[in-house]
Amino acid sequence: MHTRPDRDGQEQLRLAGAAWEEAAQYWQDEVARRFETGHWTPLVQQSRTYLEALRDLMDLLETADRDTEF
Amino acid sequence: MAWGGSEGTNRVHADIDALKGFHEALVRFRHVQRSVAERSDDEIEMTRASLAAKASHWQARLEQSQAEFDACRAGPGADCSGYARAVEEAGDWLDHIRRWQQRVDEAAGEFRGTAGAFWDLLQDDLPRAESLLQALIADLEAARRVQAGAS
Repeated sequence: MHTRPDRDGQEQLRLAGAAWEEAAQYWQDEVARRFETGHWTPLVQQSRTYLEALRDLMDLLETADRDTEF
Repeated sequence: MAWGGSEGTNRVHADIDALKGFHEALVRFRHVQRSVAERSDDEIEMTRASLAAKASHWQARLEQSQAEFDACRAGPGADCSGYARAVEEAGDWLDHIRRWQQRVDEAAGEFRGTAGAFWDLLQDDLPRAESLLQALIADLEAARRVQAGAS
């Protein structure tokens, strides 16, 4: 089935977030805090920015296609 | 991570499994997001191609309608209003599609900046985070082996 790329991207971000939540229950030392600050949080923030921009673009492409049908 | 005794050993197992799960999720995330980025480029190109085909269709209709209108006007006293309407309609569609082409180009151009930063993250930052986790998991497994040997 054809799904929009932005939705697949959102789903993967959700799955990675769930895996992080699971790991963070056990991993609570200084290395974990550095990992969260230095890697995980920027990854989530940049992913959200990208996926929101992608969603807007995919919406626009769909509208362009629909609005020019004859 | 700190641990000790049999409870600590169980804890280490749980820690390692959770970290491995997270590591696998990050690797999967990177692969899927690369595919997402490639599919996004395909979607942009498909829409551009579709709009170009539509513009080409209406350009041809416009030229044909214009020729029919001109031929009608060259004749004596004919009602050419239908041809005139066809010319106007084809022209309107062509303008409409060209406006969409411009909008799509602008939006795709703006998106490229965000996509480029995200692509760098997938190419550079994420593999570094994965390596860090991999090293941590290896350390924990080594410690678990030492602990198992000592007990």
